[in-house]
Amino acid sequence: MPDDIRSLSDALARDPRSLVYVDLAEALRRRGQREEALQVALQGLTRHPMHADGHDCLARIYADLGDLERARLAWSKALEIVPDHLGSLRGVAFLLFRQGDLRAAESALMKLLARSPGDDGAQRALAVVRAGGAPAAEPAPRAARRRTEPRILAALRPEVFHGFDRATDDILLLDQRGLVLAGGLTEADGKDASELAAAALAGVSGEAARTAEYLGLGSWSAIVAEAESSNLVVAPVGDGALLLVRRDRSIAVGLALRFAERARGIALAWLQGQGA
Amino acid sequence: MSAPDRGQPAVGASGAPPARSPAGTSVSEQLQHALDRISRVRGVRGSMWVAAEDGIPVAQLLMEGVKGKAVAALAASLARKVSGAAAATGSGRVRFVQMEAAGGTLLVAPAAQDLLIVALADSRVNVGLARLEMIRAAEAALP
Repeated sequence: MPDDIRSLSDALARDPRSLVYVDLAEALRRRGQREEALQVALQGLTRHPMHADGHDCLARIYADLGDLERARLAWSKALEIVPDHLGSLRGVAFLLFRQGDLRAAESALMKLLARSPGDDGAQRALAVVRAGGAPAAEPAPRAARRRTEPRILAALRPEVFHGFDRATDDILLLDQRGLVLAGGLTEADGKDASELAAAALAGVSGEAARTAEYLGLGSWSAIVAEAESSNLVVAPVGDGALLLVRRDRSIAVGLALRFAERARGIALAWLQGQGA
Repeated sequence: MSAPDRGQPAVGASGAPPARSPAGTSVSEQLQHALDRISRVRGVRGSMWVAAEDGIPVAQLLMEGVKGKAVAALAASLARKVSGAAAATGSGRVRFVQMEAAGGTLLVAPAAQDLLIVALADSRVNVGLARLEMIRAAEAALP
């Protein structure tokens, strides 16, 4: 059991009424132990039903589990308790956008920015929603949503690679289960390919580790793949995360590797800051 | 460097006279010639032709201690995974794969006829030169 989870579990065991259950559930969620995280959050909320942070944490767990309706209910509950709850405002904006309700998403983002004007991610997301030509009352047409969605999804993800060329189109950070952590990957037609690519890359990481181990090569540090239209660099980051950098074929492989190495350093620092 | 593994069936060596290229060399001679060139690159510990589909060695030239079958199987599997990931990123067909590790490098180049050229090298390898030789071999027309 990792140290942070052990110490949080011990703290909760010593004082079951403590609010530390949120930290424990969040730590479990980040490590991919979503069912355990769900149990901890639900149990904590039975003791603290009016704890907005607890409902916010529960919503993120449901979102990870793909249960967006329960996530919406949990964020709504948090906002009933604390109308200015920043995490919940951000979560609701994300869900509204996913559901195609751009007007409501815009409203939620404006509310978020009113409470937290320095939130760069929310500012970028708002700009994307507005640039998408949101209709007043109806969900966005599918085609418009498809054009806009990758940009807003990327904007709502943590801004890890700010300043890098094509930071939300060609750089992707994922965890060992193939879930996107930051950055983004778009196809030539603007469609978001992040999740598909992340799922495919999780298999590459395992295969590389197995190959390096069997062949006595030690730990692997990078895979470079030269393909028809682009060069890909895949590199492990910290304990289980994976970075993908895609560069145009016209860019030399050596430069792509240097670029990836810089991005890897940034990603590592960010993950360490997250306690991962 | 050990002699080519005679236990593995070379392409074209099946009892019938081996297929010959217009230049008059047999296919197996062409394959071995490509391996010779790749294995002369400093740091290369072995090179081989591998059936991409099942990861079985077709021809090989390996230093003592290099596990040919394991290299072939793992390289083919890695190449499949990387090709899948490249497709998922919209990057198209993969032409060359390089896996860097603390103790060496594995190089894979897909070739015609569902073959892969694989090279295992130590960390001193001149990757650029090995890559050139491998891509040249991969692009050479096989009958």
